[in-house]
Amino acid sequence: MKKLFAVALGILTAVGGFVDIGDLVTNATVGSRFGMSLAWVVVAGVIGIVVFAEMSGRVVAVSGRPTFDIVRERLGPRVGLANLFGSMAVTLLTYTAEIGGVALALELATSVWSYFWIPFTAAAIWIVLWRAKFDLVENTFGLLGLALVVFSVALWHLGPDWGDLWHTASTAAKPAAEPWPSYWYYAIALFGAAMTPYEVFFFSSGGVEEGWSEKSVPVMRSNVFIGFPLGGLLSLSIAGAAAVTLLPAGIEVETLSQVSLPVALALGKVGLAVAILGFFAATFGAACETGLSVGYSIAQYFGWQWGKFVRPRDAARFHAVLLLSTVTAAVVLLTTIDPILVTEFSVVFSAVALPLTYLPILIVANDPAYMGAHKNGWLANTFGSIYLVIVLAASLAAVPLMIWTKLGTT
Amino acid sequence: MSDRIDAYYELMDRQILDHDGRMVGKVDDVELEERDDGRLYVTALLSGPGALGPRFGGALGTIVTSTWSRLSGRTEPARVEWSAVASVETVIRLAVGRTTVALDGFETWMRDRVIAAIPGSKVDPG
Repeated sequence: MKKLFAVALGILTAVGGFVDIGDLVTNATVGSRFGMSLAWVVVAGVIGIVVFAEMSGRVVAVSGRPTFDIVRERLGPRVGLANLFGSMAVTLLTYTAEIGGVALALELATSVWSYFWIPFTAAAIWIVLWRAKFDLVENTFGLLGLALVVFSVALWHLGPDWGDLWHTASTAAKPAAEPWPSYWYYAIALFGAAMTPYEVFFFSSGGVEEGWSEKSVPVMRSNVFIGFPLGGLLSLSIAGAAAVTLLPAGIEVETLSQVSLPVALALGKVGLAVAILGFFAATFGAACETGLSVGYSIAQYFGWQWGKFVRPRDAARFHAVLLLSTVTAAVVLLTTIDPILVTEFSVVFSAVALPLTYLPILIVANDPAYMGAHKNGWLANTFGSIYLVIVLAASLAAVPLMIWTKLGTT
Repeated sequence: MSDRIDAYYELMDRQILDHDGRMVGKVDDVELEERDDGRLYVTALLSGPGALGPRFGGALGTIVTSTWSRLSGRTEPARVEWSAVASVETVIRLAVGRTTVALDGFETWMRDRVIAAIPGSKVDPG
């Protein structure tokens, strides 16, 4: 019974923790402009993150090596360093976006200007990173993040023409007025939001924090195989709710309040309150994950002691990185840059950084010296190889498309 | 431990742990010695920016090495004697504690000057 509870908790946490500011904003934007015609990208992104999260989780459970250890070991110091700079830039950008997201959620709840909330938000997140227990953070915000199910309820309540939604989703029928370059630009943004590199940095380092062993593989798999796809359904619900309300009304998503508009229309004030709670939990949880990921990756590249399983004074450089990146993120936001814009950049550059993270995982997952009997089977290798090609194509196309479409505005 | 080792694959860029499982550093380079039998022997693991800088090469390598040298006051990279190595797995385990191998100049500085000053730095995790 206790074990079943642990498995259920893990799955629920994975569902609630799946969506972050990038998923919220990108899915709502895409739903409001392209309806469900890009739903296939969310499905493809979820399969991709499932494939590589399972692989990195298995590597850490069997060999104890988290992702950035492997990046350094397999790519060497020079390419590893280039990867570190790229990944850190993206993860720090995402961290900034998540902190901005928390502040925006607080603004929605209190009507107090979000820039007022930024210093307090950053301070609160840092205190959590400094003091709170690892699994407490993961479970609390994962479970509260389940409040985003309100988007599925809202979609149901709106009573859309399911046949029509399914038709646009299954035939990828783009609205005629939207140009193809923007369609592909948003496809890459959605893909980047679903597969952000920090997810595997955090997931694999979390395996070390929680002391996974070979015995943890089945539980880890149930979290990934059940939790992540259900999290993907939340993403699709956000897009779907926007598709049936905002698209016909010609409203394009530019703020977080517009993301919640479909819920307010369908379920009124109570629904809106639940959605705001979901925004807060999802962004606060993801802020902790991205903040830790910055520290994990740098410490793992250089071999420093890291982790919340030791006292802060025993991982001094790691905690110095956490403090410095939190201050940096807050300062960047206080320049009054638009957090939604930061989010858009973060998901596109995520797509650029993907191949360098996923290639070493695929190599090591096939290395018997690390993996013994647990090395990749044909299924993981087939999917892994196909996704590496897709990820490479998305990475190469991301920046040219961003410039061509002027961030998807044309 | 076998007496032959593929130092490039099995040692380079691996994590070094001390006898308590604490992370000490990376194997940033390896010190080799040619003995009378004509074979190369690993005599020490080199760790820290002093060993990593030369592996970057170019301008970046020079900057890393000289900055490290200026800050630490040392010219030779930090060494871990091969005799201190207990086992070579996917990590390098040492038979000694992390303080014995004295690799942590920057860590110690950061701990004493910054982290120790923040309340709660000595609290054990859950």
